[in-house]
Amino acid sequence: MSKLLGELIEALRCLPGVGAKSAQRMAFHLLERERERGLKLAGALDQAMRQIGNCTRCRNFSETPVCTLCASTTRDRHTLCVVETPTELAAIEQATGYRGQYFVLLGRLSPLDGLGPQELGLGLLAERLGEGEIEELILATNPTVEGEATAHYLAQLARAAGIRPTRLSHGVPLGGELEFVDRGTLAHAFGSRQALE
Amino acid sequence: MGIDQQPGYVLHLRAYRETSLLLECLTRDHGRLGVVARGVRSARGQALRAQLEPFQPLLLDLLARGELATLRSAEPAGLPLRLSGNAGLAGLYLNELVVRLTGRQDPHPALFEAYAQTLPRLAAAESPGWQLRRFERDLLAAIGYALQLEFDADGGEPLDPQAHYRYQAELGACRCGPGEAAAVRGADLLALGQDRVPGDARGLQSLRRMMREVIRFHLGGAELRSWQVLAAAMTRP
Ligand SMILES: [Zn+2]
Repeated sequence: MSKLLGELIEALRCLPGVGAKSAQRMAFHLLERERERGLKLAGALDQAMRQIGNCTRCRNFSETPVCTLCASTTRDRHTLCVVETPTELAAIEQATGYRGQYFVLLGRLSPLDGLGPQELGLGLLAERLGEGEIEELILATNPTVEGEATAHYLAQLARAAGIRPTRLSHGVPLGGELEFVDRGTLAHAFGSRQALE
Repeated sequence: MGIDQQPGYVLHLRAYRETSLLLECLTRDHGRLGVVARGVRSARGQALRAQLEPFQPLLLDLLARGELATLRSAEPAGLPLRLSGNAGLAGLYLNELVVRLTGRQDPHPALFEAYAQTLPRLAAAESPGWQLRRFERDLLAAIGYALQLEFDADGGEPLDPQAHYRYQAELGACRCGPGEAAAVRGADLLALGQDRVPGDARGLQSLRRMMREVIRFHLGGAELRSWQVLAAAMTRP
């Protein structure tokens, strides 16, 4: 096999779900039938990898110092939603009608992974909380032990700044049957049951 | 080697390959184990994934071969335990402590026992400080670094409740002046040794300082990440 072809196949394997076999199929596909779009892909990949950094206000991916979401004048400036990753930000944007702002931790408190307040940019978050505009801090970290610990920590930050922290509720999935829900989730859902209006 | 119905806890988990998790587990009879849980990050593996969170007493079925074991099944061994707020942060500290101070496949049944007892205590305690000191004491004893909390290091005399000591990891309690930064009252050392809560907040504070120094010594001078987090979280009201 040609050296360049081998390198391309190896490089493609960095994609999620792509093993040796599918990497080879992709490489042959591009070379045989999609030269032009392959070049376009290479260009887009090169530009994205070089130019996309993190927004200086919310830490989401952005090629400008302040991302479009943070710069937008139509978003509500009184609510700030904290998520662990850009993927989760995108999920909330797509699934909810949320119109406030975000802060991306790029992780969660995890001593064993070497992730502490500094790595999560909590100095920057504290600065934003101190600006005086935010009234509600929505803690949308994951319902894992580390995500919960992170939410607790951030709630303390918020309270110290006079801001109301809220947490996404979690429980039985829609369309789920109690019988098939794991015990931890069920216990949690039971513990945080709400009065019916 | 098949390991069946082994009592254990997940200490830490991270993504592994496409749909799997790499767990760091503390088991009763086999010590700390690296365990691969296959396929639990897929939609179908969600129910099992939910069980594999830290602090839950589990019964693990494992296939141990070489460096990493493979998880065959995990079932809860008791009601799910919820460590919320500062107890959750304290629990993460416990886990960091166990991972950093023990090696894999090095069983310490006394450590497992202490760990299993500490979690519900953390869940019930108003503030985790004292529970953490007890666990640190028991962890050190279980791995062969027991503290000497009866006699001083100078002449082997019984500790004097009224005197002040500086605890040195490699020696023990050495008498010092009350003004020294690392000074601990004899009464507080004795309290820790006899599993009694120190009489006041100052006693707890000096024990915390002392434990950090001892742990730092056994880590070869390294710091624990959790110290940073705990300090920042717990100084707030
Ligand atoms: Zn932004």
